[in-house]
Amino acid sequence: MRGRRVFVTGLGFVSPHGEDPAAIFERLFLGESAIRTVRTGTPEMGADVLLASIDFEPGDRIGKADRLLMARAAQLAVVATRNALEDSGLMAHGRGPEEAAVYMGCGLGGAEILQESYRTYSARQSRRVRPTTIPLIMASGPASQVSMSFGIRGPAHTYSIACASSSVAIGEAFRSIRDGYIDVVLAGGAEAMLNDGSVAAWQGLGVLAKEHADGAGASCRPFDLERTGLVLGEGAATLILESEDRAMARGAHLLVEIVGFGASSDAHKLTEPSVDGQERAIRNALEDAGLTAEDVGYINVHATGTPTGDPVEIEAIKRAFGPAAQAVAISSTKSMHGHLVGASGALECGITALALDKRRIPPTANLTVADPACDLDCVPGVGRDAPDLEVALSNSFAFGGSNATLVLRRA
Amino acid sequence: MPLRRTFITGIGVVSPHGDDLNDVFDRVFAGESSVRKVPVEANGSSCDMLLSPVDFDPGHLIPRLSRRFMARATKMAVVAAHHALEGSGLLVSGAGPAEAGVYIGCGLGGSDQLQDHYERFLADPPRSLSVAGALRIMPSGPASHISMQYGITGPNVTYSIACVSSAVAIGEAFRAIRHGYLDTALAGGAEAQLHAGALAGWKELSVLASEHESGAEASSRPFDALRTGMVLGEGSIVLVLESESAARARGAELLAEIVGYGASSDAYNLTEPSPEGQARAMRLALDDASIAGERIGYVNAHATGTLLGDRVEAESIRDTFGSHADKLAVSSTKSVHGHLLGAASALEAALTVRMLQTGRIAPTANLTDPDPECDLDFVPLVGRDAPELEYALSNSFAFGGSNATLVLRKVMAS
Amino acid sequence: MTPYAFLAEVLSEKYDVDPTSISPEATLTELGLDSLTVVELLFDVEDEFEIEIPEERATFETLAEAAALVEELLRAKGA
Repeated sequence: MRGRRVFVTGLGFVSPHGEDPAAIFERLFLGESAIRTVRTGTPEMGADVLLASIDFEPGDRIGKADRLLMARAAQLAVVATRNALEDSGLMAHGRGPEEAAVYMGCGLGGAEILQESYRTYSARQSRRVRPTTIPLIMASGPASQVSMSFGIRGPAHTYSIACASSSVAIGEAFRSIRDGYIDVVLAGGAEAMLNDGSVAAWQGLGVLAKEHADGAGASCRPFDLERTGLVLGEGAATLILESEDRAMARGAHLLVEIVGFGASSDAHKLTEPSVDGQERAIRNALEDAGLTAEDVGYINVHATGTPTGDPVEIEAIKRAFGPAAQAVAISSTKSMHGHLVGASGALECGITALALDKRRIPPTANLTVADPACDLDCVPGVGRDAPDLEVALSNSFAFGGSNATLVLRRA
Repeated sequence: MPLRRTFITGIGVVSPHGDDLNDVFDRVFAGESSVRKVPVEANGSSCDMLLSPVDFDPGHLIPRLSRRFMARATKMAVVAAHHALEGSGLLVSGAGPAEAGVYIGCGLGGSDQLQDHYERFLADPPRSLSVAGALRIMPSGPASHISMQYGITGPNVTYSIACVSSAVAIGEAFRAIRHGYLDTALAGGAEAQLHAGALAGWKELSVLASEHESGAEASSRPFDALRTGMVLGEGSIVLVLESESAARARGAELLAEIVGYGASSDAYNLTEPSPEGQARAMRLALDDASIAGERIGYVNAHATGTLLGDRVEAESIRDTFGSHADKLAVSSTKSVHGHLLGAASALEAALTVRMLQTGRIAPTANLTDPDPECDLDFVPLVGRDAPELEYALSNSFAFGGSNATLVLRKVMAS
Repeated sequence: MTPYAFLAEVLSEKYDVDPTSISPEATLTELGLDSLTVVELLFDVEDEFEIEIPEERATFETLAEAAALVEELLRAKGA
């Protein structure tokens, strides 16, 4: 459409596959799952749940005093952002660019604090809770703590749009740079809602996967005939978005370019996605980028592994792409890292950026017998080289019907 | 593409003072408080708290069956959106404009649902959980349901940024229209956390007001020397924003114009605000509107009634406006309606629109003994006529150091 | 673990208080704790020992006094 060009000049992750971008990508490319059976809850009352959890220890990257005011999601966000600032060369004496903005997605916030707080509240006669409760539970915790930790003084926005949160965060960050409001944005997402109280709420929706005969790692099976649902994950990812001028002026390494963003709503039903809404998001994104379906070589899909959701996205892609749908490679990396909800868009956009940069496409793991309704090239099992890859899409389609698609191009 | 002007063409409110904006404004202008002492039930025991609650009944606007899937904040938002769409003339056979965007600020989301969820989950033995609990809990509920109820299929964005949530929602919707991404947007906020679980958390922050000797209605006292803190409220306010061409093409009544938006972060301290960060947001908003500070006649302050917060804002207003600060009228309507958190900015923007339309500035109620360290014209106690009022500023400053300012302009006769 | 030992550990591990400054005679203010942090600390103690510290009893100043209060509440609970 218009405006200034926007580049990704750094990436930072705290993901179920680790923190190093190259290592994460390699493991994904090989089809390696980070999904495990995890015992959650208390010693008295626990359950085995399929999760893509992280063995996270901030170490001295977050001071003890600072940790008191950070729920898990905020800690993940701060470390992921630290990694991104270092990756981009923008970290100076522990601080980031003061004039930057922070745009973060977060579905819930301090989920584990919420649970602990209600436990405390009901257990105590006094009905008192800890003073840090409200600051810790707010969904704005990650963005706010990133701003404070790195001295970032531009706007700090938190997007809370369920599974579309961080895609919209990145999309609006892209627009704010393109339209001239800001030169650099730390854009991404964080989510940590694997506490048993949150997991129980998701179980109530009836959308979680059951363990596959081949074990935990085989249980998230987007597009596969034997798929039974999604697997929750946790983590954070931050992308550094910069205007072309600013990036060039400092000789930044340009990882990829963000060229388009499209969003829509289903206005349909709370838990049933709509083909029309998803199709529109994809079309809007391509139009925004000034590109056509034929230009796209890879789509990192939203597909979570639910029986009803996956075919809807396939149909939406077919309608948006027409015949070109048969020529595009698509994969769901959720098959390996699970569904990070508020952080999913950011993690998957980061993976898509790496795929473009390396010209290698990660697979849909566990895709052994495709559902006939999912009859596109879903890159089953292991990754593939893509020497001509130029443009890729990243989709996030949320419960509650918010759809977001980002368009990325090789730099 | 040239930048487009953005007008407000409809406003729907579900507020402590009622759901008719004109009537709500008249009460706010008259200094009538909605602050009450409310008994808050907590598992058997009851405790009175100063709150600004909404006497809410969605009536026929939300079918009984749908209500099960909606948190309180969501229900309020759906009703407010209805009033906004109806008022703007955009509600047709129960549906809104299909291509519109929905931009909503919401701090805590379905916090009543969350309390219910954990009461069941933590019970001994645990009680069965409600099926769609996970969805009702998240802050995206209000925006999602507005979209579903009125068939609105444009982008759907929820901002959860504490007390600046709805200022950012309105500001970002304004930008989306200005740059041609949208022609129409529903923008505003929704908040309903006045139940025992959430209130227990707020009590511990030592920011809530204690009851004034003159009673509940006198207890929210921004800028007063005897202020003791804030009073929490609830509600939902939704504005219809339209591009100039879309609004004029259908002969819509223009209520006010949004001309500027600025946002910043303090990067300072979680609970203590910084005057520098606030001043930056105000200056950015003025620059964005391409007007000098001297054009502003009125500032609707964030000021919640806390000792430190009000003082810092007085300072940041003075920093921003320099000598013009002495000519500004500044008032905090939180003195009568309390602090609606994620919906605060939207209510205050709506009231500021009425001030611009009517040429009347609402007072800071309960300001009987001004704090000498807050040295501005705070329009104490009595509302004032201001027929020359053209531009107004509305401030929102949040815990966690987020700041957002909107600049509104009266619709001028061409 | 004794109440005093628990306090010492939590103060240094969680609240980042310099272990060398922790002693029975040290007051919470001397150790650099503000009022909100003191309340948090009391929650930690209540959780650990499964007691509730009534607001009006939380008037101790030194760590020794705090530990003594906890011991007293534990004895009352056991009784």
